[in-house]
Amino acid sequence: MTPGDDEARIRAALAEAHRDERTPSFDSVWSAAERGRPGHRSTRRWIALSAGLAAAAAVGLWLVARPPPASGWHPTGTRWVGPTDFLLQTPDLVTLRTLPPLDPAADPLVNPPPARRGLP
Amino acid sequence: MAPPDLEQQIAALHPASFAWALACTRWNAAEAEEVLQSVYLSILEGRSRFDGRSTFKTWLFSVVRNMAARARRRRWLMARAPWRLGGAGPDPDPLDSLASRQTGERIRGALGQLPARQREVLDLVFFHEMTVEEAAAVMGVGLGTARTHYHRGKLRLTELLGPEDLR
Repeated sequence: MTPGDDEARIRAALAEAHRDERTPSFDSVWSAAERGRPGHRSTRRWIALSAGLAAAAAVGLWLVARPPPASGWHPTGTRWVGPTDFLLQTPDLVTLRTLPPLDPAADPLVNPPPARRGLP
Repeated sequence: MAPPDLEQQIAALHPASFAWALACTRWNAAEAEEVLQSVYLSILEGRSRFDGRSTFKTWLFSVVRNMAARARRRRWLMARAPWRLGGAGPDPDPLDSLASRQTGERIRGALGQLPARQREVLDLVFFHEMTVEEAAAVMGVGLGTARTHYHRGKLRLTELLGPEDLR
């Protein structure tokens, strides 16, 4: 059996497979397609398109018209505050940040206490 | 509205388009008619436009093929939709319901066992008298791929069909 024979047989087989087809009339399929194209479909499409454009325009206007950011604004990274920094906020923070006033008379370096007997 | 000459061209190809739609829908006549109706609707609405890059028949057949694939996907999804669970189940395969007594039905059964692309390329070449190159354009694949499907399909179909079918 040659390849040409095979092809002829496949062609005949496919013709046989298509033999009993009952093709619906073109007019019926075409008019059904036309009926499936209601006028309001294009109207709905226009409404959806208009709504989309209006939404896009509103977003654009909002982006353009919104107030500029405050002048003293810095990126968040430069003002980063650690989550545990509150632990450093002790009640005596003010005292710790300034030198406590010392009484020179009570300074043991200035006025050493008198030496006791028996001690070197 | 489609121009009259476009409508005439489509009308002239209508029987061939229906035969091709049948091949794309595994010989389900109702589904093929629905596919063809969707194709005509998409042309009427301008969603499918002939751009002259191929012959009109090649373009129309590729639209039919794409529409059939879309309908198949939609049917597959609908069959698995949550509200269908426990329902009637997927539609029966049209090929299963065919009695395999007549030759035509046996051949369609054999074609149904081929992978879709092999079945399509054989149908386009041997029934619709297209070249393998045109078939590749309809199927949206490269020429080499179409050739591979063509040769494998021929071998497989020859194996599947008995001597009484290949006369």
